[in-house]
Amino acid sequence: MDLAPAGEYRSSYREDMTIFPTRNSRRAVLLGLILACGLPFLLGRYELGLLINIGTLGIAALGLNILVGFTGQISIGHAAFFGFGAFASAWLHERWHIPVALCIPIAGAMTAVVGLVFGAPAGRLKGLYLAIATLAAQFILEDFFARAQWFTGGVAGRITEPFALGSWVADREESYFYVVLAYVVVMYLGAANLIRTRDGRALVAVRDHYLSAEVMGINLAYYRTLSFGIASFYAGIGGALYAHYLLFVSVEAFNILFSIQFLGMVIIGGLGSVMGSLMGAAFMVLLPEVVQAGADLLSGSAIDRALKLGASISFLREMAVGAAIILFLIFEPDGLARRWRLIKSYWKLYPYSH
Amino acid sequence: MTTRTTILSLAAAMALTLPAAAQPIPVGHLMDLSGATSDVGTPFAQGVNDTWAWINRTRNGVAGRQVNALAFDYGYQAPRAVSQYQAWSRDRVVAINGWGTADTEALVRFVTRDRVPYVSGSYSAALTDAGGRSGRQGVEPAPYNFFYGPSYSDSLRAMLIWAAEDWKGRGGQGKPKYVHMGGNHPYPNSPKAAGEALAAELGFDVLPAIVFALTPGDYTAQCLTLKQQGANYAYLGNTAGSNISVLRACQAAGVNVQFLGNVWGMDENAMKAAGTAANGVVFPVRTAAVWGQPAPGMTNAQAISRISDQGGTAYRPVHYLAGICSAMLLAEAMDTAAANGGQVTGERIRDSFYARQNWVPNGFDGVCAPSNFTPADHRGQLTVALYRARVTGDTSQGSVGDLIQSGVMRLESVKTVTLDRRADWLGW
Repeated sequence: MDLAPAGEYRSSYREDMTIFPTRNSRRAVLLGLILACGLPFLLGRYELGLLINIGTLGIAALGLNILVGFTGQISIGHAAFFGFGAFASAWLHERWHIPVALCIPIAGAMTAVVGLVFGAPAGRLKGLYLAIATLAAQFILEDFFARAQWFTGGVAGRITEPFALGSWVADREESYFYVVLAYVVVMYLGAANLIRTRDGRALVAVRDHYLSAEVMGINLAYYRTLSFGIASFYAGIGGALYAHYLLFVSVEAFNILFSIQFLGMVIIGGLGSVMGSLMGAAFMVLLPEVVQAGADLLSGSAIDRALKLGASISFLREMAVGAAIILFLIFEPDGLARRWRLIKSYWKLYPYSH
Repeated sequence: MTTRTTILSLAAAMALTLPAAAQPIPVGHLMDLSGATSDVGTPFAQGVNDTWAWINRTRNGVAGRQVNALAFDYGYQAPRAVSQYQAWSRDRVVAINGWGTADTEALVRFVTRDRVPYVSGSYSAALTDAGGRSGRQGVEPAPYNFFYGPSYSDSLRAMLIWAAEDWKGRGGQGKPKYVHMGGNHPYPNSPKAAGEALAAELGFDVLPAIVFALTPGDYTAQCLTLKQQGANYAYLGNTAGSNISVLRACQAAGVNVQFLGNVWGMDENAMKAAGTAANGVVFPVRTAAVWGQPAPGMTNAQAISRISDQGGTAYRPVHYLAGICSAMLLAEAMDTAAANGGQVTGERIRDSFYARQNWVPNGFDGVCAPSNFTPADHRGQLTVALYRARVTGDTSQGSVGDLIQSGVMRLESVKTVTLDRRADWLGW
């Protein structure tokens, strides 16, 4: 079937649940992947750096989206788990000399365990109370990072080694891009499939109405905690990828503001949307760059002189992120993912959209 | 050849050579205007920015090419500095004016790999071990890292040597007590071990360190600890903003301690903000003169200042002058690299740092202190000029310039200590 029929012709659950419904959509995905593989030959290091950032943050944001968007929990400590993954991977390599390629998944698993511990209150708490409990996780882990010299290198941070597979060393954007791309594909496919499983449906049921879910026999405490574990696993993988890209990890990066940024990505991208997480991450990474470019244009211009902006221009960047979140909440509460669907259906139905 | 063809060929030659000659040289500049150390980061960054603009305007850049100084405010966040560094690889910066300790140390490996000379605002001793021969834990070879001034550790050593003499001179009884104070951050931590070791060697009683954050706050508790422990000499490892909080809290608590400030811990702005609480603080000054003092190079410094202050009336704190000297070192090294038709590459710039003995940038005599760099030892300065902050009255009225003019505030030279170039102090 090359085109989607104009009506409901699906006769099995299998057809209903498929991720890519038509042959063309599968082709498009493959083509997209091939194009993505060609990007290092087309783009400069700076652009690839941005894409790598989008990938690593996108993976972590997806984890948060599983927690917030699919399970209806809340976490304002996601950056701490992201950081834990980064430090864990660096530590595993430095202390135990495990190859970086293995460190990343192990770091993800370690972070998942930590996430399960800090997610334990989720079994009993909801809403604002849970938010405060995760806030505690943020501060406990941040303090741990600053003090645990053996694990994190203390406040001075830790230098990490580049990703290597045999003799192939991914120490440049051009090569590391493929590592991140592979992880993005695996992690996003994983999440898309997770949602189709019994456990995934249970998570959504918990979000939609916890009482009904419990009546249907879903163990609330189990699934809420599990959701924290999965979210932390994604954060850990993202953090580990980040650590081996920057080649340096330091406690300063994983503060509460960064956690809020992850929430921002999920909200802007679209709560409960797998693709939305990546879009949100892309938005959050590119927005400061755009604002910076705008500020550079502005500095020294007539507007700058008239308003006496001067050094305050650098604060524009911080303000733009806040403004973007507010504007999205007002005008596009379902995020970029919905906007993308609207654009797609506009072209699909053009010119007969009514 | 007719005149016409001559003109045409000349024009063609010009068209071919001009763009190459006019291509600006990209130089990175990481500054902190919005982070924890922006109190002193702002005047320093202003000094660096004004210097590059002045070089472009009056000296036609470096070796006839304009310098494109790419200034970026990284908010004192090391990871942001690292990602900005990677973004700069697109612009192929040939050198960088940097700032903080955490970010500079994080970037050591990168600048070494990419051969980008890095003149930091951090004077961490760990950056001086260019050859990596000290064998100290956590110290890596830093062949591309330079800074203008004595290292934090060496400044503290000089202050301790002065303190030991001061204790004897005052007729102090028994062992004097020394305490290190600062945030738990690479920058205040940098000279901690070195200072405590020398203090013990000089016969001080070394007390457990006292922690206070890099940001201003209420530090009465720290002052009470100081009082309780009976400390005689206390090192303030943070930057001016949080040190002011400590000085004021300690004045209120009636603590009688001789404070020793880090080079970034005290300046004219901090003196005004702290008022009489800052009176008596001893701290190192990296420049041979402070603003407005008569020196042959002061006219050039004032010309640089007019870049951002057309009236030429602004009083510039010590950090502004240090910014000028830091940028001038790099500019002259680039000039030397370009001499005799050379390319301005990172490697050649680095080698140019070794080209001079007792190096004072041309035209800045009496302002910038002389530096000596060797391929194995990047301790540029071992002579530490110690000054004492004198505040005799109310500083709440009038500008810093007025207060200095009226003598309410002044910087008073105390002693100049020249340290030995000890091999075991390299990188520490």
